[in-house]
Amino acid sequence: MKINLYLLSCLLLCSFTSAAQKYITKNGHIRFYSDSPLEKIEAHNRQVNSALDASNGNFVFKVLMKSFEFEKALMQEHFNENYVESDKYPDATFIGKVLNFKDINFGKDGLYNANIQGKLTMHGISKEISEKGTFEVKQRKLTGKSKFNVVLADFKISIPGTVVNNISKSIEITVDVTLEKANM
Amino acid sequence: MKTWLKIFLAVIIIGIIGVVLVYKFVYNKPHTDYSTANAAYTLNVRELFDAYIASPDTAMKKYNGQIIELKGTPDKIEITDSLVIAVFVFKQGEFGDEGVRCTMLREYNEAAKKQKPGSIIRVKGYCTGFSGDVILEKCSILNP
Repeated sequence: MKINLYLLSCLLLCSFTSAAQKYITKNGHIRFYSDSPLEKIEAHNRQVNSALDASNGNFVFKVLMKSFEFEKALMQEHFNENYVESDKYPDATFIGKVLNFKDINFGKDGLYNANIQGKLTMHGISKEISEKGTFEVKQRKLTGKSKFNVVLADFKISIPGTVVNNISKSIEITVDVTLEKANM
Repeated sequence: MKTWLKIFLAVIIIGIIGVVLVYKFVYNKPHTDYSTANAAYTLNVRELFDAYIASPDTAMKKYNGQIIELKGTPDKIEITDSLVIAVFVFKQGEFGDEGVRCTMLREYNEAAKKQKPGSIIRVKGYCTGFSGDVILEKCSILNP
C-alpha cells in the first residue's frame, strides 16, 4: 500500500513537473508571403496551435490550411482547391526540437537565439528542416519568432502554367507564437 | 463610318467590358458573408466534437469547409489582441483544453464578450477543420 502511494505521488509529481514546463498557445500567427514579378500574395493564419516542452526542447505546431485568410477570395479559393488541396491535406505540422533549449533561461526575461530542427509536413509530404529563430521570455510568456522560405516544389505543390508568373516558387513563412505556461 | 471600323470598335468595347466584369466579379469577387449565408448543418457543440473524435476522416469530409450552426454553453470567452473566441471545452490534450473554438466576426466581438457565464448561445460559422479542437471561424451569434 505504501509503495502504491509512493508510486502515485511520484506519478503526480512527474505529471505536475511536466505540465509546469510546457508552454502552449492556440492563437499563434503564421504569415505566408509570395513575391513574384506580377503579384504580391499574403495570407495570415491566427489559429496556430503550438507547444514547447522546456524540459527537453520538443517543439510542435499544427496549422489548419483552411484557416489561412487572403485579401482576395479568389486567391483563397485557388490556394485551398488547387495548390495545397486542403480537403485532402487539411493541415500542416511541424514536429521538432529547439536544439539549444538549454541555453534559454525560461525563468529570466531576455531574448535568446534558437536553433530549430525537425520535420515539416505539408501537402502530404514531410521534409527535414533546420531554421534559426528567437525566443523572448517576458513576464512569464514566451514569444517565438522565425522567418524562413519554403520551396513549393519540395512539397509537390505545383503551380499551373497560366499563373506561374503570379506566384513565387519560394514562399516566405513568418512564424510568431506567444506561448504561455500550461495549466494542465 | 466604315463597317470594318464599326466591328473593330464593337469588339474593343465588348473586350473592355469583359475585362472589367472579370476583374470585378471573378478576380475581385467578395469573400462569402458568413453571417447571412445558410448553415449546411445545425447541431449541438458536443455532437460536432464527438463526431471528430469518433471518426476524424468521416467528420472532416462532412464538416470541413461547411457553414455550421451550433448550440451550446461556452466555458469561456477568450480575448486576444485581435480575436474574440467562444471556447467549449470537452477534454485535455497535447495543447491543453480541447473542444470547439468559435472565432467571432469582428462585428460580433462585443456581443460575444457580453455573454453571461453559463448561458446557452447559438453560433454560426465556417468550419476550417480539427487540430485537437474543432475550429469555426467568421462566427456570428444568432441570439445576441
